[in-house]
Amino acid sequence: MIKKVQRVCVIIPAYNESAVIRDVLKNAKKIFSASPYDIAIVLVNDSSKDNTANIALKEKVTVINHIINTGAGGATATGLRYAKNNHFDIAATMDADGQHDPNDVIKGIRQIEKLGSDLLLGSRLIDSSGMSKIKVIGNKGLSVITYVLFGVNSTDSQSGLRLFSRKAIDSLRWHAGGYEFASEMLWKARQLKLTVNEYPIKAIYTEYSKSKGQNNWNAINIVKSMIKHRISETFG
Amino acid sequence: MSRYLLLFLLNLPFILAAILSTVTQYKLKKISSRRLVIQVLIGVVALIGLALAQPIYVWLFNNKLTDTEPLSLFDVVQITAIVIVFYIANRTRIKYLALETKLQELHSEVSIKLSNEVTHKK
Repeated sequence: MIKKVQRVCVIIPAYNESAVIRDVLKNAKKIFSASPYDIAIVLVNDSSKDNTANIALKEKVTVINHIINTGAGGATATGLRYAKNNHFDIAATMDADGQHDPNDVIKGIRQIEKLGSDLLLGSRLIDSSGMSKIKVIGNKGLSVITYVLFGVNSTDSQSGLRLFSRKAIDSLRWHAGGYEFASEMLWKARQLKLTVNEYPIKAIYTEYSKSKGQNNWNAINIVKSMIKHRISETFG
Repeated sequence: MSRYLLLFLLNLPFILAAILSTVTQYKLKKISSRRLVIQVLIGVVALIGLALAQPIYVWLFNNKLTDTEPLSLFDVVQITAIVIVFYIANRTRIKYLALETKLQELHSEVSIKLSNEVTHKK
């Protein structure tokens, strides 16, 4: 029997990433084209003020331009909606700053096929070597807070590398527009009784990705928004 | 008419409307059973509090736990106004959240459609 080739939509939410986006896309295209899957790259340009969209168009990937800036949560939701509209079998998200290795996406697709997960998280904290201590503490702290507020256990609740099954593409929706969407998504997945798993990934930290990434002060804003969403869901 | 009875009757429609709205939302599968329980519980507690306002006040006064004046007509108006403001604020918040969600979805859909058109033209 001929095995059906999985159609995969790799969503890259991007905001002002012109400095690195060409290299990120070139590298991803090279690795994805050598894989046994039918992978389409979709860059969601979250109303960048720089040349991110034009560079991505030159790399011949699908570009969705947000009319207004909505944040990482909004851009990811648009990408997932695109995957739903175009009937992809699997969707994946990866960061635009180059911190994710496209090979980890391929590894994730294999894992999702093997485990039958609906939502698969690429965890940077199963093996956190190479990650600064302050980032480890910040991310572990957010995972603990996610557990306290939403009852969802995850080693890396803020990971940007995630894979979604067809069921998750169709059903998973969240409210948050900012980075707190990462925790809210896990909560919604639990409410929908979706199967959530994790697998280890290696984050690539460059000076650029360190400067673009979340710092621990941003975590305070994320926690504030998470508490707001939790209260709103309970009493709304 | 007793001022306590007036307080109860004036507030009853708003609390019942809030409970009814919560049950309707649950039946339409727009909220979870957990949220239904919490919201109905809040409504029922408010209702019991209003219905038993007089005995509660008398008990507190007799046990020297309060030395405030008994309920005045101004208090009735003020408490009713607070309940109405809460009711309106909650309704407005629910509508605002629903509108925000629809706006997000519209923005996503329009962005995808416009991007598709640009791609096809090229």
